[in-house]
This record gives sequence, structure tokens and C-alpha cells, in this order.
Amino acid sequence: MQKLSKLKSSRYYGLMVLAAMVLFFYAIFKILTPGNFGSLQNLYAYFQSSIIYSVGGCGLYFIVVMGLFDFAIGSNIVLSSIVGVLLSQRFGYVGFIVGCLGCGTIIGILIGILYNQLNVPSMIVTVGLMLIFESIAVFVAGGSKQTLPAELRFFSGAPGNLILSVLAFLLMYFILNYTRIGTYCNAIGSNEFTAKNMGINVKKYKLIGFTLLHFFVGIMAILTVSYGTTMTALTGMSTMSRNFQPLMGTFFGIAFRKYGTPITAIIVGEFIIAIIFNGFVALGAPTTVQNIVTGAALLAIVALTARGKKGSVVK
Amino acid sequence: MEKKTLLVASHIDKRFGLTHAVNDVSITIAAGEIRALIGENGSGKSTFCQMLCGIYSIGGGTFTLDGNELHITNQVEANNAGVAIIVQEMGTLSGLTVAENIFLGHEDPFVHHGIKDTRAMNREAQRLLDEYGFGRIHAAQMIDHYNFEDRKLVEIVKATYMKPKILIVDETTTALSQNGRLELYKIMDKTRADGRSVIFISHDLGEVLEHSDTITILRDGEYIDTVKASDVTEDDLKRLMVGREIGSTYYRTDYGTPVSDEVVLSVENVSVPGEIENISFELHRGEILGFGGLSECGMHEVGKAIFGASWDRTGRVKLSDGTEINDIPTAIKHSIAYASKDRDNESIILNESIRNNIVLPSLDDLANHKILNGRKLTNFARTHAENMQTKMQNVHQYVSDLSGGNKQKAVLARWMGKDSDILVLDSPTRGIDVKVKQAIYALMGELRKKGKSIIMISEEIPELLGMSDRILILKDGKINGEFLRSEQLSEEELIAKMV
Repeated sequence: MQKLSKLKSSRYYGLMVLAAMVLFFYAIFKILTPGNFGSLQNLYAYFQSSIIYSVGGCGLYFIVVMGLFDFAIGSNIVLSSIVGVLLSQRFGYVGFIVGCLGCGTIIGILIGILYNQLNVPSMIVTVGLMLIFESIAVFVAGGSKQTLPAELRFFSGAPGNLILSVLAFLLMYFILNYTRIGTYCNAIGSNEFTAKNMGINVKKYKLIGFTLLHFFVGIMAILTVSYGTTMTALTGMSTMSRNFQPLMGTFFGIAFRKYGTPITAIIVGEFIIAIIFNGFVALGAPTTVQNIVTGAALLAIVALTARGKKGSVVK
Repeated sequence: MEKKTLLVASHIDKRFGLTHAVNDVSITIAAGEIRALIGENGSGKSTFCQMLCGIYSIGGGTFTLDGNELHITNQVEANNAGVAIIVQEMGTLSGLTVAENIFLGHEDPFVHHGIKDTRAMNREAQRLLDEYGFGRIHAAQMIDHYNFEDRKLVEIVKATYMKPKILIVDETTTALSQNGRLELYKIMDKTRADGRSVIFISHDLGEVLEHSDTITILRDGEYIDTVKASDVTEDDLKRLMVGREIGSTYYRTDYGTPVSDEVVLSVENVSVPGEIENISFELHRGEILGFGGLSECGMHEVGKAIFGASWDRTGRVKLSDGTEINDIPTAIKHSIAYASKDRDNESIILNESIRNNIVLPSLDDLANHKILNGRKLTNFARTHAENMQTKMQNVHQYVSDLSGGNKQKAVLARWMGKDSDILVLDSPTRGIDVKVKQAIYALMGELRKKGKSIIMISEEIPELLGMSDRILILKDGKINGEFLRSEQLSEEELIAKMV
């Protein structure tokens, strides 16, 4: 009994479960459509598409673990991409990178300050700001589609996108394990009252959480616009759908946090979602069916891995 | 020779709304002294200490430690000033490692230019855990993987490693097994030997007399007296706490009373992976069945398993009419009540009123064609809260404002209101003062006479001996001994089956 408990609480158990899930979903689609799915080249392509969302998932982890949420991620991706592309036209790579990261980070600081000052739930603050950022993006873009210059597309594919993503993951790993931020975010999420009693400046770390999230969103903007090469500003909450794919990875991260492997879980989780999604594409299933099954698979995976003991509190 | 004064509390005062929780209390504590602070639930002991360590703001008066007046606003500032506390309920945070919990708020020695040396932190935490004799707890492991008692041990390390001048032990021993308690007593003795002081809050008067030098008694927030432990008996303390004579024993005095043959609940081969294995027993009408053992033996899981609250339970829990209990709603519907050991997290909704806590399982019974009547709910809750003599302003008061004993009364009032036939009470008197304890034991006796059946899970051996018709001892998740009620049954016989 003790050995079983010990194994279940080790990080290797978490990694084994993740690996088993990858193999399980891979095997299903490989059996169903052996010709169209799952070659090494395919898998590499799935991974490259999923890694963009993994970066956003890492950022989201900082606030979701504190019990907060952010609906303005998609609007920030659009706005930061447009600002980066516009600056790249004058300052090249420097303008592109600084534009995306700078705009993303400033938006994070703004959200954090407003959340702290207004003292209303993060969902409400970020929905309001999403509408504002969408409109600003339309204004900044001048109503036209913005295209990343062809000579500035180092991050559109390997190795550029992989290098940038790995740097983002290393940064996340560093922050979680080698600064107070990771510890304090977890502490605030666990019990905000006790965290305050331990001398933690909760407002400060919530602001840091939002800032870090949107810094990672800035990186995601670099990868997104490089991958797609263009970005169009749209209003009417059309950026909302961009919030959910990174969030799926974050769910995995939160679920596997107890094994001490949140970053690996975010990366592998996004990869699993990509496998499922591309598996359905290979099967020729309509988009609606793909979405239904992808959503259901996510719920099933997180429910199986993250569910607490019966009667335990789930928020 | 007169000992040096370490702490002076002068005219300390605190109000919560209409409640005068601490009323002009002044005490002094000498260096190298273990001072017990006793009183009924709601007497102001915990509030007094929580002001001292910055959890509550000071309503009035001053604390002076080693000649310096304290102006502290949180626990970290208290720690830095030389005051640390081990709290009654869970004091560690989920989602952090053991090491992160130990050094939370005190990471500075491990942070250089903003970079935390996690390895050094883990190494130091492990060194401390080893030094305290808790080496089986791994510093780098997530705290979530440890049980309530182990987390309490981590909290002890957290509170004491920096050698505070004043260590407050707030009703901690009830969360610990015998071994854990011995470790804590050693730490208290060492603190005294080093010329530092301990404020020791406990409802176990035997423990208070054995491990403290002096005892301060509070009643209804007011200072009553300070006495030398060597000059008083348990009965003297009870009289001082309650303000009147309390009988020398509050357990059942009947022996040889026959228990009905009627089986009301059968538990067959129940297992919960990692917790309990093949547990089988029968509960009879009007029986108090005690479960005992070391804290880790699995007895607490037995209560959850019966109530349908264990996640991956196997085996059968069956009522006399054949109904199987596999989930909580079925258990409640079939008149089973459960009060968890972890009162604040599993039994009570802290941020809700007493009324809403009490009526919760009875809403269907109280509804008229599915419509609830607020006045009816209030009257129902008031009746049962008053029957339990809950100390409260009114039933709309939040449970979070109540003391530990009054929270437990609210939990019991809930199940009395539901008129449950089978009560599973896990550590029913944990953190409860002598007067409430007496009331709970009397209630259990009355319920038993009415034909209600009780499963009492307890880490208190005298309680098991004093209240149970039959005692089952668990060891390593299995039943290791069964004893019938007898005057001759001794603590040693039970302990022999526990270890």
C-alpha cells in the first residue's frame, strides 16, 4: 500500500500518465486512419502548432493557479501582433520583438492595476478590457490586414519557433522554481488569507501574475503572427476563441501540479489536443464534430487526472 | 531567584461586533516558563494569542516582549519580533512543497539577487526535518501528499526552527498521535530550557497540568486567575474555567448494560487503497462503537467510508433493510450523520450563517411543496442551536466568528435537527473545552438511550474507554483488536493493539 502511495505521489507517475495519454490518442487515430495520420513528419507538425498555445498556457498558469481568469488574452495577441508588425516595418526584428513583448506586457500591467483598483472579479475586468483592446487594435491597424515582412519570419517555423518557445518554457521553469513568484502565486491560490498573514503582498503578486501572463502572451503574439504571417483586427468579441486553446494546456498544468510537472503537462497537454484535433482532420470529420470531441476529450482527460477525492472542494 | 519577565500583556482588549472576545486582560510571562492558557470555548484564549502573533489586530492595550512594545500586522512580522504560533486547524498551504511551506515569508536567506536557491532551501528544510526526527517527510515533496498530522509536524518545524522567544501552541496536540505529541512536548521543554517561553493552549487538563509551569484561566473573555500547576488539581481548574463545580468524571458510569442484538449497519470487507483494508463489523441499535488507533492507522477513513465519502472504496456498507450506502446523499437520506475530524474544511461552511449550516441537510424536510420559508428555517436552526447551548449572538451570525467548540455544537445541532439514527462522529471533542465535552458526552448518552447508534472515532484513549460499548482498534488499516466495555479494561491493553 505504501509503495503504491509513494509511486502515485512521484513526478514519474505524472510523466507516465502523460506519456500513456499521448500513446493512447496516437494509437486510436493511427488505427482509424493509418495513411493520413501520425507519421513522424505529421507529429512534428502537430507539435509545432501546439507549442504556440503551450507558451500562452504557461503564462495563464500564473493567474489561474491564483483562482483568477483572463478573457483579454486573444485581444492582446491581436493588438500586440499588430503593434509588433507595424514597428517591424521601421525597426526590423528589434521593433517586431520589442513591439510584441512591450505591448503585451503593458497590457498585463494595465489589467493587473485595474483589477486591483476596481476590486471586481477578474473575468469582468478582462471582458471589459477585451472590448477596448479589440477596438484599439482596429484603430492601430487602420482597418487593414497587417502582414509581417517576408524577411522577418525567423519564428514562423523551426528552428526559430522552437528556440523562442524553449526559452519561454525555461523562463517559466525558472520563475516557478527559482523565484518567490511561483511559491507566492501557489500560496495565494491555496489560501489568500493565510498568504496575507505570511506577509505576502497579495495585490502585488496578482499584478505580477497578470504582467507575466501577458508577457508570455507577447511571446505568443510573435509566434502567432510569424506562423500565420498576417493579423487582422476584428471587433465584437471575435478574439474570444483565442483564449481557450492556451487555457486547455493550463488545465493540464494545474491537474499535474501535484506531481511537480506543470510545464511538461502544459506542453504535452497541448500536444494531445493537437493530436486529437489533427486526428479528426485526418478522418475528415466536420469542424463541429471536431470541436465537440476535442472539448469532450479535454474534459475527460482533466476529470480523470485532476479529480480530487470524493467530497473535496473543486473551484 | 525571580525570573526575568519576557512578555507583558497589558489591558489587552478585542471586540468582534457585539462580542467582547477579550476584555481588558493583563498577564506577564517569565523567561523559561511554560504558561498554559485555559478556558471554555469562546473564553478568548485563541483571540488573545492571535493578536499577539499578528493574525488579528490588537483592539486595545499593548504587548511588550523583552522590553520592546510590539507593533505587528502579520505573522511574518511576529516571527521577526520573536513570536511564533502553531494553530489549531490546518496551517500549511496546498500547492507548495514542504520546504516552501516551512520558509514561506522567510525566503530571504535563500534568495540572492531575486533568484531563489531551491536546492539550498530543500536541503535546509530536510536538515531541519531530520533534526526534529521527522525525516520520513521529504522537503522537496508537495505538501498535498501528506496527511493532517504530518502537515501539523511540518507546521511545528516552521514555527520553531527560528527559535522564537514566545512559542504559542494553540490546541495542537489533539491533531497529533501519541508520538507526535511526545515530539511536541520535547520541543516545548527545550524552549523552556533555552530561557524562552511557551504559551500552551489545551483543553486536556491532564496534559496542561503535566506540561506547564503556570496556568492562566480566562472566562468569557476576562482574566480569572493565574495559578501554579503544582498547586491545583483538574477539578480546581474545571471550577475556575466554568465558574461552578463540575463532576470529577463526565464519562458514562454504567457497565454491563446489554446492547441490543439488532444490527443497524453492516460493514463488509471495506477497503480504501492506501488507507484501510478489509474492514468488517456490525453496529447495533443503541450502541456506541469506538474506533481507536494511532493517527495514521486508517480509522478516520472508516468514518468517511461508512458515509459514502471515500473515493475509491470497495466492499459493502449496508443498512438493516438491505440498503447499500455508496454515496453521501444516500447516507443522509437513510439517516446517517457524519462529523469530520477536520471540522473547518469538511464539516462546517465557515462563511455561512449558523442557520444555513444547521438547516442544510434538512431543507427537503422543511420545504413546503419545494418552497422554503425563511422564518421556519430560522426557528428550526434556533431551536437546535439553543438545545446545544451554542454560544452565539443569533443564528444569523457567521460560523467563522464562533470558537472551535461552538462550531462543533453547530455541526451536532445540524444532525440533531435531522434526527439521524446513525451518527459517525470523528474526533467529536477535538479542541473542545471541558464544559462542552461534558455536554457532548451527555448528548451521546441520551442518544444511545433513545436507540440511536454512534460510531465514535477518537485518538483519546480515555474517551474511548469512558464512552464506548465496544472498541475496535485499527493498526495499519486493519482491525487489530476488539474490546467490550469493562471497568477493568485499561489504556495499556488498547495501546498494545495500536502499536
